[in-house]
Amino acid sequence: MTPIRTQARQQKPTFRIRPTKGWAPLNVLELWKYRDLLWILVERDTKLLYKQTALGVAWVVMQPLIAAVIFAVIFGRVARLPSDGAPYLLFVFCGLTVWTYFSQALQHAGNSLIRNAQLVSKVYFPKLLLPLAQTIRGLVDFTVTLVVLLVLMTIYRVPPTFRLAVLPVFLFFMTLTATGVALWFSALSVKYRDCTHALQYFIQIWMYASPVVYPISMIPERWRPLFALNPAVGFIEGFRWAVLGHSVLNPSLVCITIVMSLVVLFSGAFFFRRAERGFADII
Amino acid sequence: MSDVAIAVKNLSKSFKIAHQRDAGYRTLRDDLMGLPQRMLARWKRNGQLTSETFWALKDVSFEVKKGEVVGIIGRNGTGKSTLLKILSRITEPTSGGADIYGRIGALLEVGTGFHPELTGRENIFMNGAILGMKRVEIQQKFAEIVAFAGIDKFLDTPVKRYSSGMYVRLAFAVAAHLDPEILFVDEVLAVGDTEFQKKCLGKMHDVSQAGRTVIFISHSMEAISRLCPRAIWLHEGQLIVDGPSDAVIAQYSGASALSAIQT
Repeated sequence: MTPIRTQARQQKPTFRIRPTKGWAPLNVLELWKYRDLLWILVERDTKLLYKQTALGVAWVVMQPLIAAVIFAVIFGRVARLPSDGAPYLLFVFCGLTVWTYFSQALQHAGNSLIRNAQLVSKVYFPKLLLPLAQTIRGLVDFTVTLVVLLVLMTIYRVPPTFRLAVLPVFLFFMTLTATGVALWFSALSVKYRDCTHALQYFIQIWMYASPVVYPISMIPERWRPLFALNPAVGFIEGFRWAVLGHSVLNPSLVCITIVMSLVVLFSGAFFFRRAERGFADII
Repeated sequence: MSDVAIAVKNLSKSFKIAHQRDAGYRTLRDDLMGLPQRMLARWKRNGQLTSETFWALKDVSFEVKKGEVVGIIGRNGTGKSTLLKILSRITEPTSGGADIYGRIGALLEVGTGFHPELTGRENIFMNGAILGMKRVEIQQKFAEIVAFAGIDKFLDTPVKRYSSGMYVRLAFAVAAHLDPEILFVDEVLAVGDTEFQKKCLGKMHDVSQAGRTVIFISHSMEAISRLCPRAIWLHEGQLIVDGPSDAVIAQYSGASALSAIQT
């Protein structure tokens, strides 16, 4: 593209505003430049969540804990689902620790653009920061649930092992997957408000398609690679393996889920970038 | 010549406005159901759907030099805000383009990013960051911002408990300390009492004196003629006159008076 002013040729414009067509680059550099805003958004939403709530942090713990007790009764006692030898409550709480993060992050991030419609239509900044701030913010709650998990581990006398060192790797891919899916949903929900409703059911169905209440050892071995195409399989079972030590997860399954989570992340990011240019007009 | 701050060339922006079909939100179902129909329409290349193209801006070209203060006038809905939205990269043009030389600070609405539950202090950081300031920059200017807004007593009160005047003062104070090379201001002076309006105008005057480029949208002809030596009149998305503000204002007022008589 030629500069508009020939006289200005020796000087590069700071911004060149042109209609863009097709796919846009991710522009990671710009995201980095706006990192201060990202932290402030994370900080803001953390504060907002606990302002004017009497129990505050307790809510973060209650949610997976209550669900774990219910599941322990229904799936552990009544349906007698296997748990790879671990106490079922602990087993399901492990899965729910991860899943609660995942579903909360998805819901908050999926709605982040609509809830910040004011910002989207009135100021320029990389919009990707809005869902991203939510998936990062969720890690705060996640850390709190992790503490409860440690308490449960002590109660059930499950000693922590060196395997816990691998935990951050699984958590990293958990965050990447959540971000990827959230990017898809948040971008779609700007155009189609239905997505905010659909998201809830999507998350619910996804939970049962993931090894939250059951172990993957329940899945016939030849179907496991196919099952692992769901990136949640890798980080949930990986997390459980790191904490409890029992899992039939193997490196090739982990690789499949890692690749899938990257696919989800990058497809989401590119789709978001493509949809982003219309946000201010249609939100 | 390298003293250009903004070069706008043949800038156009169109919106699709739907008729009848659905005035509200688009639903996924509507889009999916309409898909075969739309594909057929595209295939037949007759492109005529239920929507109509509306040109918010049409073929607008102008240039602004560094340090110039330009006022933009025109009736409601003639594309003034759309122009600033494109120039501040919030939305994209449909065709044409613009080159911007310098850091932009856009102030399309006072208090964007303010959250009622957060305190004044928290909102200063939030708002500053949204407008593109670094945390360090905000810290440096924090005292100045608080002094300008005159809210030091209420710094740690959630802004939902602020009076509307205090709210606006704080919001403008953050924006005024942005320190951009190019400042876009969209009718933000309509709020606040006269004293504060004076303070705002004074601040904007200082900004322009410091050699910054300012583009200012206002319906207040008085403010335009005081602040801006040059003005641009937009009408129905098109640039009508571009010149010394007094002359442009005279023409604009004449035309408005005429259309008022006619209707």
